[in-house]
This record gives sequence, C-alpha cells and structure tokens, in this order.
Amino acid sequence: MSFSEIGFNIDHGYLEGLVRGFKGGILKQTDYLNLVQCETLDDLKLHLQSTDYGNFLANEPSPLAVSTIDDKLKEKLVIEFNHLRNHCLEPLATFLDFITYSYMIDNIILLITGTLHQRPITELIPKCHPLGSFEQMEAIHIASTPAELFNAVLVDTPLAPYFIDCISEQDLDEMNIEIIRNTLYKAYLEDFYKFCEEMGGATADSMCEALAFEADRRAFIITINSFGTELTKEDRADLYPRCGKLYPDGLVLLARADDYDQVRNVANCYAEYKELFENAGSNPGEKTLEDKFFEHEVQLMKNSFMMQFQFGVFYAYVKLKEQENRNIVWIAECVAQRHRAKIDSYIPIF
Amino acid sequence: MSGKDRLQVFPSRMAMAIMKARLKGAQKGHSLLKKKSDALTLRFRQILKKIIETKMTMGDVMKESAFSLAEAKFTTGDFNHMVIQNVNKAQLKVRSKKDNVAGVQLPIFESYQDGSDSYELTGLSRGGQQIDKLKKNYAKAVQLLIDLASLQTSFVTLDEVIKITNRRVNAIEHVIIPRIERTLSYITSELDEMEREEFYRLKKIQEKKKKIRALEEKRKAALRESGIEIKEAPNILEDEEDADLLFTD
Amino acid sequence: MALSAQKGRLIAVIGDEDTCTGFLLGGIGEINKKRESNFLVVDKNTSVPDIEEAFRSFLKRDDIAIILIVQNVAEMIRHVIDSHVQPIPAVLEIPSKECPYDASKDSILRRAKGMFAAEDLR
Repeated sequence: MSFSEIGFNIDHGYLEGLVRGFKGGILKQTDYLNLVQCETLDDLKLHLQSTDYGNFLANEPSPLAVSTIDDKLKEKLVIEFNHLRNHCLEPLATFLDFITYSYMIDNIILLITGTLHQRPITELIPKCHPLGSFEQMEAIHIASTPAELFNAVLVDTPLAPYFIDCISEQDLDEMNIEIIRNTLYKAYLEDFYKFCEEMGGATADSMCEALAFEADRRAFIITINSFGTELTKEDRADLYPRCGKLYPDGLVLLARADDYDQVRNVANCYAEYKELFENAGSNPGEKTLEDKFFEHEVQLMKNSFMMQFQFGVFYAYVKLKEQENRNIVWIAECVAQRHRAKIDSYIPIF
Repeated sequence: MSGKDRLQVFPSRMAMAIMKARLKGAQKGHSLLKKKSDALTLRFRQILKKIIETKMTMGDVMKESAFSLAEAKFTTGDFNHMVIQNVNKAQLKVRSKKDNVAGVQLPIFESYQDGSDSYELTGLSRGGQQIDKLKKNYAKAVQLLIDLASLQTSFVTLDEVIKITNRRVNAIEHVIIPRIERTLSYITSELDEMEREEFYRLKKIQEKKKKIRALEEKRKAALRESGIEIKEAPNILEDEEDADLLFTD
Repeated sequence: MALSAQKGRLIAVIGDEDTCTGFLLGGIGEINKKRESNFLVVDKNTSVPDIEEAFRSFLKRDDIAIILIVQNVAEMIRHVIDSHVQPIPAVLEIPSKECPYDASKDSILRRAKGMFAAEDLR
C-alpha cells in the first residue's frame, strides 16, 4: 500500500476539504462563553441555533431533556461521518472503518452483557451507538447465549480477529466484561497502529502520535483505576496496549506499580506525561488527571489539522467532535441541574 | 335517649359496687391511654420534624449525586446502558429491626453490604475515579433514603396507632364513662326509691300493729273484767297463718 | 413478614434513566431468578399504565422494603401512591435531577400538613 502526496488530492482532496470545512463549525471559545451564560435549556438551544448546529433541535418538544440534546448531537456527528464514509475511496475507507471499530467494541460489549443477563437482545439494538453498527447486528436476535453470539455473529464481524487472538468462547461466560472490553480495545489499538504505520507518510506521523497517546493514556488510567480492585497485576499488564511510547519499558514499570505515586514516577520519565501529572489533582479547583489527558488529546488533534495530505484529520475531527459533544452535554447538565459552580470545567477546543 | 342509655343492670347494692369498680377502671384506663397517646404524639412530632429535615437534605444529596453522574458521563461518555444491562445481584440490602415506643412496634430499616461490587471495573479505561465518586455519592444517598424510609414507616405506623388510641380515649371519655355514671345514678335513685317504699311499708305495718294491739288490749281488758283468766303464752306449735297486715284494713 | 424480616430485602427504583443508573451503581439493583428486575426505567415512551403496573407489582413483592420513585413520575400515578397506606413497603419520593424537590406534592408530607405550620415545611 503506497500513495504519494501528489496523488492524494485526486482521491481524497474533496473529503479532506469537506472535513476541514466541518472543522470550521466546531464551537469556538466565544460560543462556549455564550453557552455558559444560559439560564435554561431553551436558551441553550437558541444559542446553539446561531452556531453551525443550526436548527438541529427545532423539532423537539419544549421540555428539552439533556438526553435528547445528547442524542441529537450524536445523530449529527453520525450523519456527517456517514457522508464522509459514503464518498471515500480506499484506503481512506478502511481508515474510516477503523475509526468505527471502537464504537463497535462498545456495542458488542453491550450486546454480550445483555445476552449474559438474558435480556431480550432486540431491545438493546436501539441503544447501540449508530457509528458502531454492523450488518450482522440485525441477525443478532438469533443468538441467545454468549456461545451462540460468538459463533453465529461475532465471527463475521470485522472484530473477529481481535476476539480470536485473545478471547475464547469460554471466556465470554467467565471473564469480567470490562476486561473483555479492554482486551478488545487493546487489540484494536495495536491493529490500527500497525495499519497507520504501514500507510506511512504524513498519515503515519500524525496518527501514530495520536494512537500512541491513546494507548499510553489507557495504560495509565487502567493502572490507576485498578488499585483496590480484584484485578491482578498480571491481568492488568495484559490490558496495556503495546503501541505507545511507554512500550516496552514504561509498561513494565507500570505493571509493577502499587499506588498513584509510583504511576507518577513512571510518568516522570516521559516529558509530555510528566507535565500532565504535575498539575493534576483531585482537589476542587484543580484539574483531574483525566481532564489533563483530554486537554492533551485536544491539542494533539488540533495539531493534526496542521498537516495536509493525510488521514489524521478525519480521526481528529471525530475525536474533537466527540469532545465537543461531551462539552455541550456537560454545560447542558449544569444548566439543567442549576449547578453552575463547575460549569467552566469543559475542555475548550479552539 | 342519652338519659336512658345505660347498662342493663338490676339496681342493687351489689350492682352499684360493681359499677363503681368499673367507673374507676374506666377512669384509670382513660388516663393511661391519654398518657400513651401523649407519648406517641411526642414521638410522632419528633419524627415528623426529622422527616422534614431529612427530606430537605435529601434534596441536596440527590442533587449532588445527580451532578456527579453528569461529571462521570463527561469523562466516560454514556455508560447508562452498560450499567442497566449489567445488573445482577443487589449488593446493598436492607434488614428491618423493631423499635418499641409505648408498646408500638416501629420498623427500623438497616442497610448492609451483601456480596461484591459488580461494577468494580466499570470505567476501567476511562473515568474510573469519577465513577468511584459517583458510586460513593449514590451509596450515601441510598443510606439517607433508608433512614428516611425508616422515619416514614414509623410515621405511617404511628399515625395509625395514634388515631386508634385517640379514638379509644375519646370513646372512654365520651361514651363509656358517662354511661357508667348514668347507670350509677340510676342505681342510686332506684335504691332511694326502694328505701322510701320500705320506710312507708314499715310505718304502715307499725300503725296496723298498733291498732290490732289496742283492740286486743281492749278485748283482754273486757275478758279480765269478766273474771276470765287468760293464758298469756300462746301455743307456738299452733300453725297459724301470718296475715298480711299491710293491705288489710 | 416475620420470615422475610430475617433475610435482606431490596430497594426498588422507578425513575428516569440517569436516576436508575445512579442507584444501580450504588449497588441496589437485582434481577431475580424469574428475571424480574427491581427497577423501572421510565422514558418518554413509557406509558402510565406500565408504570402503574410496575409499581403495583413492586408493592406485592415481599422482598422489597423500600420503593424509591422520582417525583415527576410519582405525579403521574399519584392516586395509586395515595391509596397505598401500609407502612411496608415504604414509598419514598425523590427529586429527579432536573426538578428540585417539591415538598408540597409529597404524599406523606401532605398527610403531615396541618400538624405543622407552613413555615416548618420551608
């Protein structure tokens, strides 16, 4: 697979232009300032109308629920993404598919949980993220046990290789669902990383950076969150994606960590993470570590727009849009619950 | 009607003694029930006050919990379905104990942990700390709600018991005691009446006996004058009918 | 009742998705062998008879000691709640995240009205 930057615009120029256009619609700091001034959700709706979102909430009946806003935001992202997906050529198509796999993992995990608890699976389908839907999802009602689900449905999905590598049929019954999720995600990240690496060029430069960060973030967060739980150190080490900057030395150190300070010591060996850990804290007024990670991610994504002739912009756009959705939902929640003290802790993008 | 509303008793000294005992019993019962009702009302008001206070704090606690849910969602994304699908066994359950207030059994709920946390690894890769905070907040809220539930159950039970007790107090005060009192006064008046009758009867008999004795004296005097000796001692074996003196002229 | 007082009893929840999620994370959720859950998620598609039925079935189950119900849902089935006078299970109205708690609507507090002056309810 090789492509030169000269030929990039022939196949992908239109979409790149489009996605840069979409990027222009991402809310600015001034928009956020307007949004946090809102007294009610209807005010919020009014303000959103003056942005790129337009009339996306126009048809909603008046007592506006935060969940409705959330759904609509998601819907908008899905429409834009599907538009991109429908117009793209290889290898961008595969690249975009890779982006959807992360949603697919969440959906499959939800479905597995549902089958494990013998819930009617048809009622779960509408609750799945639309970006992660796959053809086999319609046939999923034939499966009533995890084993059936695995044999009949999962083997045909694009995620099947991830399952085969690390999870057997029996594991579906016994393993904690969160471990399955993270194992899958790890396999997915590594695969995506490999794909981008093979693609080479500017795409590899920006995407490997982004994915490496994602991998390291997961390693850090999983380590911190596993303290005081039943997760053993060996199991924990198995969940670390092996494609980040932490690999291999950092991960070995992380696997041995017993508390937050030890994790911080690991991070101190890496300049960019050191900085994130330094200012993070859980006291009021301080930004949490996860917020710092989010900010760093946003920064990385913005950087990826600085480069041309590469696919990183598509990934960056989806991530930024997701962050924006979270921001809007956060502000909406604060407004709805009349809890304004922390309304400013959204992650500004531009 | 009320004047005639009394117990069906034969007006006798015996019945009066019984009635007096019953009146005393009723009065004692009344004062005891009154005391119970007062004790319950005291407790009731305390509980009511606490309920109102707790309901108000509950508002704040719930608000905080709901907000921490929003915070967790901000970092983790939407995890509602995961949680709802992943329900298995309750970890937090309640046991009920009994508390005794003036002989009334009030249920008290008590929570206890049972089994492990099935959401321990939720948000492992993202937002785990927020979810942990969220869990703690909601556990706190549940604790408060359990307290509130105890209070509320006590409230409902006490409300019922107080109503019953008050009904009893009122029944004793306004129905039973007056009825016994009326019965008593009836017995007294009947007894007085009987006494007067008896007195009149005795007087009448005395009068008659006097007359008869005068006649007898006269006859005896006449006989003595005519020189006939009378045997003073009558024959006690003689079966002579004791004539009804009262109604013979 | 003496029997069920020995074993642990459950807390049931009726409310919007977020409230249910919160309480489930708090660890009160249970699905029993008959696949009956002790919570009901009310969204805009849930009909009032459905809520009523779920509420009544919670009342009937002897392993439920407390029923938590979000106040705006409680408003919809107010008559059913008012007709429940037994102390157990205790029915508690809780505020939903968007509506602050309104004491004047609460079934229990309405019963308490008159015993307390209005300013105590503030």
